[in-house]
Amino acid sequence: MFKILIISILLVTSATVLAQNRQVHGRVTTTDDGKITGLPGVNVVVKGTTKGTVTDLEGAYAIQLLEGENDLIFSFIGYTPQTIPVAGQTVVDVLLAADFKVLSEVVIVGYGIQRKSDLTGSIASVKESELTKIPSFNAAQSLQGKVAGVQVYNASGQPGDPPVIRVRGVGTFNNSSPIYVVDGVILDDISFLNAADIQSMEVLKDASSTAIFGSRGANGVIIVTTKQGKVGQDRTVITFSSEYSIQQVGKTIDLLNGKEFGQITNEIIPGTYNNLNALPNTDWQKQIFKTAPIQNYQVSISGSSAKSQYYFGVGYFNQQGIVPKSSYERLTLKFNNSYNVSQSVKFGNNITLAPYQQQVAPDVVYAAYRAQPMRVPYYPDGSFGAVPNVGNPLAALAYSNNLNKGMRLVGNVFTDITFLKDFVFHSSFGVDLQYKQSSDFTPAYTVYNPDGTPNQQQNLFSTLAKGNGNSSTWLWENTVTYNKEIGDHRFNVLAGYTMQTTSNEYTNLKGNNLIRELPELQYLNNPVYFYNLTSNPVINNLASINNEVDPSAYYSLVSYLYRLNYTWRDKYLFTGTFRRDGSSKFSSANRYSNFPSFAVGWNAMNEKFMKDVSFLTNMKVRASWGAIGNEKIDYLKQYSLVLASGLTSPVFGKNNALNSGATFDVSGNPNLIWETTYQTDIGLEVGFLNNRLTGEFDYFNKKTQDILVPLQTQGYLGNGTGALITVNAGTVLNRGFEFNVAWQDEFKGIKYKIGILGNTLHNEVLSIGGTKGIDSTLVGGYLGNGQASTLSRVGLPIGAFYGFKTNGIFQNASELAAYPHDSNAEVGDLRFVDVNKDGKITDADRTYIGSPIPTFIYGFNFQIGYKGFDLMADFQGVYGNNILNGKEIVRPDPYNFEKHVINRWTGEGTSTTEPKSSFGGYNYSISDRFIQSGAYLRLRSLTIAYSLPTVLLDKVAIKQVKVYVRGTNLFTSSSFTGYSPDFGSANVLANNIDNGSYPVAKVYSIGLNVTF
Amino acid sequence: MKNKNRRIEFLNNPKLVTIVIFSIVMGCQDFLDKKPQGQLLQTSFPVSANDALLTTNAAYASLRNWYFHSGGYPVLDIMSDDAKKGSSPADQLNTVGPYDSFTINTKQDGLDRWWTAAYQGIRSTNVVITYAPAISMSDSLKTQYISEARFLRGLIYFDMVRAWGGVQLVTKPDPPLGLGNSTASDIYTQIIADLTFAAQNLPEQSKYTAVNLGRASRGAAKAYLSKVYLFKGDFINAENFGMEVFNSAQYSLEPDFNNANGLSGNFGVESIFEIGASPNDGTENGGDQYANTQGIRGSPNRGWGFNRPSIDLINSFEPNDPRRDATVIFLNEVLGGVKTLGDGSTPDTIKVNNVITEIECYNQKVWSPGNNVASQWGHHRRLMRYADVLLIIAEASNQNGKNSQALQFLNMVRARARGGNAGILPDITEPNKNLLQDIIINERRHELALEGHRFWDLVRTGKAAAVLGPLGYGVNKYEHLPLPQNQIDLSQGHLKQNIGWN
Repeated sequence: MFKILIISILLVTSATVLAQNRQVHGRVTTTDDGKITGLPGVNVVVKGTTKGTVTDLEGAYAIQLLEGENDLIFSFIGYTPQTIPVAGQTVVDVLLAADFKVLSEVVIVGYGIQRKSDLTGSIASVKESELTKIPSFNAAQSLQGKVAGVQVYNASGQPGDPPVIRVRGVGTFNNSSPIYVVDGVILDDISFLNAADIQSMEVLKDASSTAIFGSRGANGVIIVTTKQGKVGQDRTVITFSSEYSIQQVGKTIDLLNGKEFGQITNEIIPGTYNNLNALPNTDWQKQIFKTAPIQNYQVSISGSSAKSQYYFGVGYFNQQGIVPKSSYERLTLKFNNSYNVSQSVKFGNNITLAPYQQQVAPDVVYAAYRAQPMRVPYYPDGSFGAVPNVGNPLAALAYSNNLNKGMRLVGNVFTDITFLKDFVFHSSFGVDLQYKQSSDFTPAYTVYNPDGTPNQQQNLFSTLAKGNGNSSTWLWENTVTYNKEIGDHRFNVLAGYTMQTTSNEYTNLKGNNLIRELPELQYLNNPVYFYNLTSNPVINNLASINNEVDPSAYYSLVSYLYRLNYTWRDKYLFTGTFRRDGSSKFSSANRYSNFPSFAVGWNAMNEKFMKDVSFLTNMKVRASWGAIGNEKIDYLKQYSLVLASGLTSPVFGKNNALNSGATFDVSGNPNLIWETTYQTDIGLEVGFLNNRLTGEFDYFNKKTQDILVPLQTQGYLGNGTGALITVNAGTVLNRGFEFNVAWQDEFKGIKYKIGILGNTLHNEVLSIGGTKGIDSTLVGGYLGNGQASTLSRVGLPIGAFYGFKTNGIFQNASELAAYPHDSNAEVGDLRFVDVNKDGKITDADRTYIGSPIPTFIYGFNFQIGYKGFDLMADFQGVYGNNILNGKEIVRPDPYNFEKHVINRWTGEGTSTTEPKSSFGGYNYSISDRFIQSGAYLRLRSLTIAYSLPTVLLDKVAIKQVKVYVRGTNLFTSSSFTGYSPDFGSANVLANNIDNGSYPVAKVYSIGLNVTF
Repeated sequence: MKNKNRRIEFLNNPKLVTIVIFSIVMGCQDFLDKKPQGQLLQTSFPVSANDALLTTNAAYASLRNWYFHSGGYPVLDIMSDDAKKGSSPADQLNTVGPYDSFTINTKQDGLDRWWTAAYQGIRSTNVVITYAPAISMSDSLKTQYISEARFLRGLIYFDMVRAWGGVQLVTKPDPPLGLGNSTASDIYTQIIADLTFAAQNLPEQSKYTAVNLGRASRGAAKAYLSKVYLFKGDFINAENFGMEVFNSAQYSLEPDFNNANGLSGNFGVESIFEIGASPNDGTENGGDQYANTQGIRGSPNRGWGFNRPSIDLINSFEPNDPRRDATVIFLNEVLGGVKTLGDGSTPDTIKVNNVITEIECYNQKVWSPGNNVASQWGHHRRLMRYADVLLIIAEASNQNGKNSQALQFLNMVRARARGGNAGILPDITEPNKNLLQDIIINERRHELALEGHRFWDLVRTGKAAAVLGPLGYGVNKYEHLPLPQNQIDLSQGHLKQNIGWN
């Protein structure tokens, strides 16, 4: 083998030697920050032939010319190409100028890059400066209001909780989150990345761009590219940035004060309080919220040498929550290097190491909302006051001690090998290694009632829970690309093969009754199971242990991928992709599936007849169609398993011994196949007046079929109460119109830019269950009292709210008698609408009362700069959706009320909207009384920045100094009575339900950026 | 320079490139085979004697499922004249409350849970009955496991047939799709076949070692046969199987009535079949939530306080019947050294038109000593007590015209209740068959109050209309509960609703 290799090399070299006629050599250079540097990798082609070479690392080249070959073409992506007549010269040196217009028009696509002008898909790009604008640990927060068709929700304001991202609506009842491709590694989340290390984020929206990700792209793909050392930048660049922020709760909820609560209570239970004025008045929200800081520091060093490029970044992020005992702290270390072994072989790595720790607050936000205001936080002796039914939120905080720690390593090593001139072989081996550790300790404590008896808020024995887990993913991707330009034809062909496997394991331990409560004694041993706390409280007892695999992250995939891009005369564009995926999540018969896509485009400006249209700078029309899959279900769904647990174990004998038992668990479904989304996209891109005005418009129609839906099965099959079996039985439609229009210009030294973007969204369930399920509905959104609040049914949006419609208050007995009413309804209570007109009010009268999905999502921003000053404002909002105020509905016990309750019905004619006082029950059935508008407009971010003049900085060898102040979420216009209208849920059947979650804060920041 | 050129040329060699490309390892099918981790597949279970034991044990565990107890809440007592909903007035008003007021509908909370839990239990018995025969183990062991499973299947179907009548008859772990209603008579035939098989093949109670107490015995199967025949109105067989239990000399009455259901009587002389549980919070830890559901609400906090003894029950006891105080926990009563203060948010008395209709009190039969909620989870629910069998014999004997035998067995129960106090609960001497029947049913009420028997006794004896009518009971409707609407919807036309519920 080796011999053949040597012989081949010799043959090829000698052939080259024989063919030589005359040699031309030279050096290709460019200017970088005023310095002339060699430019490696430049294509040098003899005009009229396919013969060529590329420059070496110093920019040098040498080429043999035959008789009649006179011109050399020098080209490099991002630079203006030049054609030089050689004439009689033997040395031809060329200075290539960077073409910033072209540079900005390179777009990162799946498994490659593409000229923007050649693009047929719908891809939106967000660049580095936009990504660090929001003080968040998660860069995806920055996409809010920046990309048409993308919505970012905050499931909670708890530091370290990731945002929920939706691209072009909700297409499945399962996990609807997009995937992230970070430097080629496919991931579910990017919490480990420091936003300052990111160069750009590309959101792939249509089928033409996502289909290359096959089974994984149906919910959109976000390609994240991290920073690299710049080629040719041999001077080391050091950046330093620091930001300090203060967070506050944006608004508090209007609740009854002590006196008002006493007044309402007296109406419900007469004579409860004799002297309303003497009642204490505790503002529990004030008690739990505090002002909290965020610190964010980062240093990066980047540059390149003759053979390598490097980027090294260190970031530290520390967010304290606005509720005590909640925080998130993260260190990020970023190493991106590449090394050119030769002109055709390159190696590199992109590695992020991120240790973090998070403290999660107990659920005191909801407790503070419910806590009765006439209860005191502390008794005069300083001990915690008892708060009936919900517990004292301050005591809950004081006794909460949890800490989640972890470390994540994400990265890849790769090589690019150029061969046979036009081929590039790319191989990347990526990993995502995660280690997690959790600890939760609650000491033994008791809160006492005013009369000295113990309150229910107590923990008789100290409890300690510990968890350890790790997960690992490796992904090996191999692609070959072929780039060729022949006359008017330009081809880019890609073929690839990838393999991925993900596995994990975790262990959780729980124990009781630590001998001492000191942190150094918080360990578990002495396994005595099923102890009897009453008679035999074992010290340091290990009470439970479980060791398993998270079934949602245990799978392997193999994929074959192909793509052809073809451009004719820069006018007509065609893209075809095909991916074949095999997944371990499906049985061997259904394992593989194919995902094709096709797209065409037309660059109208390159037509001769458009030459004279001077006001138009750019106009492109494109259309795409494709099929993309979704396989985000856990791998066990296909299997019928055996259940062996405490639940299947009986207790026998005088000693109450648990005897092991095992039996059949819920049946699996071996017939599962992939969910498939068929998406059509038609787009128009235009630029007017030398691209001062640009616009991008898209219509999309996305239909997801064979959605994997967990459906109830008939009871007699014996799967048990509430057992669900996953079946392919749903179809959902999302369609809408997206636009993104921007105007930018300069006027007397004032640069300004105005942008507006948005999308409409129509979400509709086309089918569920069919013959497989019950009544073609899917119930969800379970509230704290077990009531389901959403019903997804044909014709309605996913997760549509479901309950009674109200039409007033029963004002008197004759009105009550005249209307159909529930047996519990009395005068002064809500009147429910008899929807099915059967003369009775029953559960059958519950109906569609609102949609959690906005019909219009928008953002607009402006930016104005003059000399060193910059002012930037970003607004975003949604329209057409509802929020279910779930936290108000669940009232099994007497809790505090929202302020509007004070306007209650107290007699005929006193109110037509607020029923008479009650602690719960009938009037708190799920009804449109609790549906609120979810529409809002928010000033997402407002920044004022000042950059010091460079003339000043040159003297101290500093390139840039920028200081800024910024406000985030400064202003929100919304009629919603809760903390923040922009919350969501990863569970699409429980979306936009306010269950009393941790609010999103208002943030004030001050920052400094320095570049050396 | 030359070196570099060589490298470039080497990569331009088509042969070599071909070799490189083909040397990329292509994945094989094995890569996509991810075996379930930490999980056993049904296709490889049960296959051994030990597996057979595990499946048999699991069938018992299905009785400890909270939902097995009539869907969780003790709605059978709440539907009877013995108990009110309980807890604080608004608690579960719309879910459990309608059972109290006979205003339930086909979607009533609890119906579907009870139904699905019962069939889950039946499946666990069917796993044993279907797979044990093919497992290689001793015939005696095989018969033992199958008999235990058939006993449990009969027991669960007996609950179902009384609750719903002609439910779907399933005797295999993987029944066919599209199964419709069976008839009540077919269900009874299956129950009798299962219990008869169990009665023939199971050992007597005394043959079980101490660690196996809680397994089904011959006596348990016969006691259930006796009861099943009683419900079918076959008094001859009811009496005969009852007498077989009596003559087996396996059982006797607890001298202290408190121990008939209490902790000290767990697996005791009077217990024919009970559900074992350990005092741990959580079904997965061996606990049974049945008693926690009914435990004292408030102070001391022992549970949720459902199934409140009715004033009617309290007042119905004969003068000084000690069973009254052993059945009801009154406020301020001291139990296990702890004073019962009750729930602050629950009124001590509920009045309607100035008449007291309810007082705050709790079911003492589920009370366990201890000072925390977990100890309440350790209560062993008695499904079949010897006293029940004695009263069945009394009732069946009376129906069979054996007055003296009826009186004999009835007075055995009263004698124990008397607790040695000759001044109370005199022996019954009633010669009239019909009057004695009423006395026996009344005795059943006081002996077995709040143990889940009263409602079905009233329905079975035709007294429901008279006794429960004033509470809302509807004739030709409440004899059976409605089939859960959810099941009817899921069956897509195969399952038919009970009479009166359409």
